[in-house]
Amino acid sequence: MEILAVEDLTFTYPRCSEPAVKDVSFSLEKGELAVLCGASGSGKTTLLRMLKRELTPLGERTGRIIFRGNDIAELDERTSAARIGFVMQQPDQQIVTDKVWHELAFGLENLGVPQNEIARRIAETASCFGIEEWYDRNTEELSGGQKQLLNLAAVLVMQPDILILDEPTAQLDPIAAADFISVLRRLNQDMSLTMIVAEHRLEEVVPVCDRLMIMENGALTANGSPEQVIPTLRGQGTLLGMPAAARLYTELEDGGSCPLTVRDGRSYVESTYRCEVTELPAENYTVPDLPALTLSNVWFRYDRHSRDIIKGLELSVGVGEIFCILGGNGSGKTTALSTAAGLLKPYKGTIRVFGKKLGDYRNRSLYRECLALLPQDIQTTFLHNSVREELDECGADLSALPFDISPLLDKHPYDLSGGEQQLAALAKVFAAKPRLLLLDEPTKSLDAEAKAGMTAVLRSLKASGITAVIVTHDPEFAADCADRCAMLFGGQIVSVGTPIEFFSASSFYTTAVSRMTRGYYNGAVTVAQAAELCRANGRKESLL
Amino acid sequence: MRSFSDFDPAAVTIWFFSVIGIAMFSGHPLLIGISLAGALLLFLVFNGTKHLSSHLFFLLMFAVLTVVNPLISHNGATVLLVINDRPFTLEALLYGANSAAMIVGVIYWFRSFTQIMTSEKILCVTGAFSPKLALVLSMALRTVPMLVHRAEQVSSTQKAMGLYSDDNIIDDIRGRSRVFSIVSMWALENGIITADSMSARGYGSGRRTQLRRFRFTVSDAVFTLVTLALLAVTAAASALDSLSYTFYPHISITSEGVLGLCGAAAYGVLVLLPVIIETEVSLRWKYLRSKI
Repeated sequence: MEILAVEDLTFTYPRCSEPAVKDVSFSLEKGELAVLCGASGSGKTTLLRMLKRELTPLGERTGRIIFRGNDIAELDERTSAARIGFVMQQPDQQIVTDKVWHELAFGLENLGVPQNEIARRIAETASCFGIEEWYDRNTEELSGGQKQLLNLAAVLVMQPDILILDEPTAQLDPIAAADFISVLRRLNQDMSLTMIVAEHRLEEVVPVCDRLMIMENGALTANGSPEQVIPTLRGQGTLLGMPAAARLYTELEDGGSCPLTVRDGRSYVESTYRCEVTELPAENYTVPDLPALTLSNVWFRYDRHSRDIIKGLELSVGVGEIFCILGGNGSGKTTALSTAAGLLKPYKGTIRVFGKKLGDYRNRSLYRECLALLPQDIQTTFLHNSVREELDECGADLSALPFDISPLLDKHPYDLSGGEQQLAALAKVFAAKPRLLLLDEPTKSLDAEAKAGMTAVLRSLKASGITAVIVTHDPEFAADCADRCAMLFGGQIVSVGTPIEFFSASSFYTTAVSRMTRGYYNGAVTVAQAAELCRANGRKESLL
Repeated sequence: MRSFSDFDPAAVTIWFFSVIGIAMFSGHPLLIGISLAGALLLFLVFNGTKHLSSHLFFLLMFAVLTVVNPLISHNGATVLLVINDRPFTLEALLYGANSAAMIVGVIYWFRSFTQIMTSEKILCVTGAFSPKLALVLSMALRTVPMLVHRAEQVSSTQKAMGLYSDDNIIDDIRGRSRVFSIVSMWALENGIITADSMSARGYGSGRRTQLRRFRFTVSDAVFTLVTLALLAVTAAASALDSLSYTFYPHISITSEGVLGLCGAAAYGVLVLLPVIIETEVSLRWKYLRSKI
C-alpha cells in the first residue's frame, strides 16, 4: 500500500531566485525505510518539512504531496498532527515540558485524548523503549541519546503511519547514534513503520534501509536500493559518509555486488583478493622530545562526596603532535580536557603546559598565545550577530588562517552548518595565537565531507607547529588524522600508540576497516590503506 | 498505606493552606505556638538531622525579630529598662516574640510545602483550573535551569578562548553582559524549534486534556473532610472571640469556654495530622516487615 507520494514538488523560498527543492517525485510503500542523503544545504530539510504540513516553510510551492490517497493540504488537523510523525535534529530544543512522563503525554493531551487512554498508551510506549527507568526524571537531566529517544517516543505515542526524521543522530555521539538507529530498525522490522530518514552518518543506517535517495542542489539525483546507488557515487562527497565496505568497493572499482556491512565487506575482500602482501611498509613514528602538555598523577572529582572522575591520569603530548583521546561515554574525556585547560582544578597531581605548571600562568596568561579549548557545543563560542563581528571583537587576522572563511563573514553564526561553525570558532580562537589546541569532539555534528575538511585543517595546523589534543568518540576520524591515539577508561589512560598500532590491537573499539580486514591483512585501519593492500595483492586468479 | 507526601496534591494543598491561614490570621499566641511547634516537627519528621545549619539561621532570625519590636514600639506597662530615655517594655518584647514565632512558623510551613509539593504536583493542582496555565508553568520550569546552564557553558568557553583577558571586575561585567545577550538570543532561536515541535504534535488543534498522575481516592476525601472540619472549629473559635488576646497595656491571653478549648485542640490535631499519618505508616510498615 502506498503511504506517501510526492509528485513534481518544487519549492522556492521568498526572495530567492533558485528553488530549494526542484521537481522531486517519489513514493513510499507501507513499511519502507528510506534514507535521504546529500551535502549540507542540498534541500533535505526543506523537502522533509514540506511533508509535514505544520512545519512547511513559507514560500511558493507547486506539485502535490499525497498522504494515504489525500492531498496533505486537505487533511484535518488531528490526522495531520498524529499520523505524520516528525523528529528533528536538536535533542534539547524539541522537548517542551520539564518531566519525561509529561513530555510523552504532551501530544495526546493536545489531541484531547481521554486520561486513561493517555495513561495506557504512554505506559506501553515507555516500557517498549525502556524509558521506565527514567520515567519520573526531569528532562533536563537526561543524556543526549536519552533525550532523542524521548523525542522519538513522544511522537510514537500518537501512533503515526509514517515517521519523518531530520538528521536525528547528528548531535549524538556514535554509540548513542548506533543505539538510536537500531531502535529505528526495530520499529521498521517489528511494526512495519514507514520511515524516511535524512542522515549524514550512514555507516549504520544504509545496511538496513530499503532505499537510498540522494539530493543535490534541490533535485533528487538517485533513488534506488543502496547496492545500486552507491557505485554511481564515485568521486562525489556523499560517498565519504557511506559504510566502509561500500567505500572500499567503490574505491577499487573491481565489480561484483556492493558489500554494505562489515561481514559482507570481509567476505568480499577475502574472496576477491589474494593474500600475499599482508602488511604495508611500516612508517616509524618518534614522539617529539619537547612536551607540550603533561599530566602527571592527576586526580579529580566534582564534589567532595562524589566519586573520582579522573584517577591518577598520566599523559604526555609532544610539541607538534595531533593526539586523539578516545573513550566511551562517562570515561572522563571531557573532564580530562577541562582540567588540562585549567577550567577545573584537580585535587592532586600536576599539569604542565610547555613545561610550566598551570598555576604559574598568572592573570589568565595561559589563554594568551598559549592554550585554547574549543568546547563540544561549538555554538557557545559565538556572542555576536555575524561572523565578521565575532572576528573583529577578538582581532583575528584572516590572512594568517590555514583555511578560507571569507564566504561566511556576513552570516549569523547560528545559521552556519556544523563544519562551518567549527571553522569560524577556530578562526576566533586563533586570534589569541594559541600553540596548544584542545578540541572536544570537533566532529560531533559534521557530515563526512566536513570531517575530511577538518582533518585537512588539522594537518596544516600541525605543519605550522601547533599541537592539537582532540577528545573524540569517532575511531574513523582518529585513524585518519592522529599521530598518536590513547584510550581513556575509568579515568586513566589504558593504551597509547600510533593509529595503526592502536586500532590493530583493539577488537571492538576500532575502525570498520580494521574489523573487516584483521586476520587477513595486518594493520589496515583506513579505507585508503585497505585499498592499497588490495591493489598490491591483486585479484585472485580464479576470478579472472 | 500512603505516606503524607503520596496524598493527592489537592488534598495536601488544602491542608497546607488551612494550617498556614490560621497561623497568619489568628494572631493568638497559643495557636501561633502550636503552629511553630508543628511546623518544626513536620520539617524534622521529613528531613531528620539534615539542614541543621539552616535551623541556626532561623533561630537568629527569630531573635532579631523579637528584639526589634520593643526598640520601635514603646507601649506596655512593665518597663524592663530605659534606652535613650525610651522605655523597653516586657509587653512589646513578648509581642515581638509572638510575631517572630508567626513568621518563622510560616516560613517552616513553606519549606515543607516546597519539599512535598514537587513541580508536578503544583502542575496537577493548576491544571485543574487551566491546562494551558499548567503547560506554561511546566515549560518555564524547564527553561530556567536550561538558560542558567547555557550561560555557565558560554562563559567558561569564552574564558578558555582567552576572551576575558584580565581578572578585573569591569572586564568581567562586560563579559557577563555579552553572555547574557547571546543567551537571550539563543533562547529565542530555541523557542522557534520548540514551537515547531509543539505544532508538529498537534498543539492548538483543539481542546487540551491534562493527564493527572494522581487519583483522588477515598482516603484523600476523608483527609480533606477532616481538615475542613478542624479548620471550621478553629476558625469559629477565633471569629467568635472565644480565643482572644491583648498585649497592651497588660498581657491577657484567654481561651474562654468549651469553644475556645475546642478551637485550640482542633488546631493542634490539624497541625499534627501529617505526623500522625507518618507514624501510622511507619508502625504498620514495621509490623508488615516483621512478617517478611
